[in-house]
Amino acid sequence: MATYVNIEPTQNLEPFKGVKKLPLEEYFTSGHRTCQGCESALVMKMMVKAAGPRTIVLGSTGCMYVANTTYYSTSWVVPWMHTQLGSSGSAALGTAAGLKALMRKGKIKNEPINVIAFCGDGGGADMGLGAISATLTHPDYNCLILMYDNESYANTDIQLSGSTPWGANTTFSTPGPAKRIMHHRWKKNMAGMMAAGHPTCRYVATICMSYGLHGMNSIRKALTIGGPTFIHSLDPCPKGWDYDPIQSHELGELAVNTGVWPLYEVEDGVLRLTGRTQQIADKRIPRQPVRDYLLRQGRFAHFTDDDIDYFQSKVDEMWHKWLIPGAIPFHKEIEADNPPA
Amino acid sequence: MGRLFAVEIIYRGIFQKTLAKNISRGIVLAAHQAGKPGISFGRYSDSPERNGIPAKSFAIVGTDQETLERGMAKYEPKEVDITITVDDTLCKGVESWAWYGLQPVNKLLKQGGTLIVTSRETPEALISMAHRKEYPYQLCIVKGTVSFSGLWVYKDDHSDVRILGTIARILPELFTLDSLKKVIQDEWHDAVKVSSAERAYERFTSTTVRPNQGNPETPYKFDLPKWHEMGEGVAIPSIPTGKQIEDPGTHAMGGYRPDRNPTFKKFSTRTMRPVVDFDTCIKCTLCWLQCPDTCFDVTPDGLYDANMQACCGCGVCEAVCPVPNCVTMINETEFRDNSSQWEAWKKDKSGYKTWLQQKIESRPERSHGFRYRGQYKEQIPEMLEIAREG
Ligand SMILES: Cc1ncc(C[n+]2csc(CCOP(=O)(O)OP(=O)(O)O)c2C)c(N)n1
Ligand code: SF4
Ligand code: SF4
Ligand code: SF4
Ligand SMILES: [Mg+2]
Repeated sequence: MATYVNIEPTQNLEPFKGVKKLPLEEYFTSGHRTCQGCESALVMKMMVKAAGPRTIVLGSTGCMYVANTTYYSTSWVVPWMHTQLGSSGSAALGTAAGLKALMRKGKIKNEPINVIAFCGDGGGADMGLGAISATLTHPDYNCLILMYDNESYANTDIQLSGSTPWGANTTFSTPGPAKRIMHHRWKKNMAGMMAAGHPTCRYVATICMSYGLHGMNSIRKALTIGGPTFIHSLDPCPKGWDYDPIQSHELGELAVNTGVWPLYEVEDGVLRLTGRTQQIADKRIPRQPVRDYLLRQGRFAHFTDDDIDYFQSKVDEMWHKWLIPGAIPFHKEIEADNPPA
Repeated sequence: MGRLFAVEIIYRGIFQKTLAKNISRGIVLAAHQAGKPGISFGRYSDSPERNGIPAKSFAIVGTDQETLERGMAKYEPKEVDITITVDDTLCKGVESWAWYGLQPVNKLLKQGGTLIVTSRETPEALISMAHRKEYPYQLCIVKGTVSFSGLWVYKDDHSDVRILGTIARILPELFTLDSLKKVIQDEWHDAVKVSSAERAYERFTSTTVRPNQGNPETPYKFDLPKWHEMGEGVAIPSIPTGKQIEDPGTHAMGGYRPDRNPTFKKFSTRTMRPVVDFDTCIKCTLCWLQCPDTCFDVTPDGLYDANMQACCGCGVCEAVCPVPNCVTMINETEFRDNSSQWEAWKKDKSGYKTWLQQKIESRPERSHGFRYRGQYKEQIPEMLEIAREG
């Protein structure tokens, strides 16, 4: 059979065997100007720890650009470049193609180099959707697009994005005395959309760095499998979610354990629930009520019991009514949707 | 030309943004009552604000429009009549961006000006934290627990009006107590807030800080290239990879200390710092792995030493540590240096244990925002009690 696709070898990154076997080296280090308890900064650190030194990182505008390059200084150890807000897809593809060309022409040593482009939820799921989608249809370039989702346009002071949860307080959805719920849209299902829509993309996963080993091994798998891949990470953000930063790690755990944030991977078209989500689905651990998650965050402080019940019902629907629980929102029958007045 | 008044408010970014805004807006509105024009604004270069990272807000008032306009022709005031810091740990210095370095809290204060600090500490403790100044200034403590709350839910513990009441006493030429009372009533429609401002006005005391008092250190500085000196494509040099650490006892090399951004340290972001009990640590790695600021140096003996040049005090390491009381967050006011805890423990284990115990016992409660619904309602009465009774 003729080969139409010309994939270069990858670095073959074996999964880390446990937290005590992790490499000590850091490639994203201290001195970034993020908030105290910024979980997105933790994603950056773990992302490059997982990828290792032979890695190029591209990053679209957002907190992880602005805060990490404060006036001619940086926290990056590996090469990093800023790219425009909606451009992580193009930057990933262009860099992978550029490296391939330079190696073919003998201008740089021929070796596998990881190309990772990250973007926020605003830069990725909203503004960069087209470019990410296009990149995921190009099977012959090795690159990973990692979307760090803090559920708002955080850098510009918390405007709502397509990834902001229903009802949350943002600069664009401030509750008032006349109207309590100002944001009526349900969160965009970005990872599911990428997996379902791009048959040539060999790996899509959701992660949360409160489960750091799980997240880092997903990144290693994405970089090893080859071709364009996509990872969606959910990152508690003390500024936008309005909570004491000491809770950052725990809120990530709560997002997973309440079933609000299902962990899964789609590898060569095969879907697998992973981590705690797998255990919840197998009924080995209970799914916690979403109340435990919502009441810990100031962005939901205006919620009434009805609002919490509605939120719970939508999460239950995702677990019980979706054809593939948590991942793809196709239903077998029409559901009534009755949000609180 | 008439008289120009300048007040700066130093605060911890988003956590105290509403508080700072209430104060600087209140100043301008109260001055307006007597016909003085003014402007309240946040320092642009602090934006986007982050939780914890120091930011500044200014209130500039003139006795007439022309004076105000002349005053506003500068990017930010070069000197102020009053500096307010709504968190006492900011007395150690202010570092908002990589190009400021560490700035003394009293840097902009005029001779004889007043530094107002919200604190439960003594004047002596605060004076020892602040850098020395070449001329005397006044220190005024507004007694109380430092007020923190996030972007959406404000903790209305009257810190704002108590500081405004204090200003009316220090600088009646700027605005009088009567003007202030009227503004508070108009803005908040709350008689209790008015009386909190009055109490602060009545109870005012201050201490003179002399040039020989305070932290004698030279605040850390560096030179960054000007825009025309920057490299092609505005390329920034990356951080080198880290190195092994030397054991102070055996001189054996091992472990790993990451290199860090030399021009933006994060210690002035910190209101608390972790102290580690190396005797009970089970080396589980979690503090090291989960710290968003990559603060932990891995020691040759496999322990994790939180580096105080880098720690921003988020508390995640305390939250993830599985061993009770092994990592404890302590109020930053309890410390005067950033030295290594692990080295101190290596040199004198029992001495370290005593030191650790003292720190943990003196642990004052601090919280930095929303933890659960109803929490502020529980915390506010104590502050209102202080506002009433002193
Ligand atoms: C084309 C364009 N529009 C708007 C902006 C202003 N801007 C800078 S960062 C940002 C927020 C991006 O949000 P997100 O991608 O979610 O990243 P976060 O800030 O949340 O980390 C915006 C709107 C920009 N830089 N470029
Ligand atoms: S706003 Fe959120 S994502 Fe941005 S630096 Fe702060 S915590 Fe991190
Ligand atoms: S408090 Fe702990 S987790 Fe937070 S920055 Fe400091 S060392 Fe890191
Ligand atoms: S989390 Fe606690 S027990 Fe684990 S390595 Fe850190 S200090 Fe030791
Ligand atoms: Mg975002």
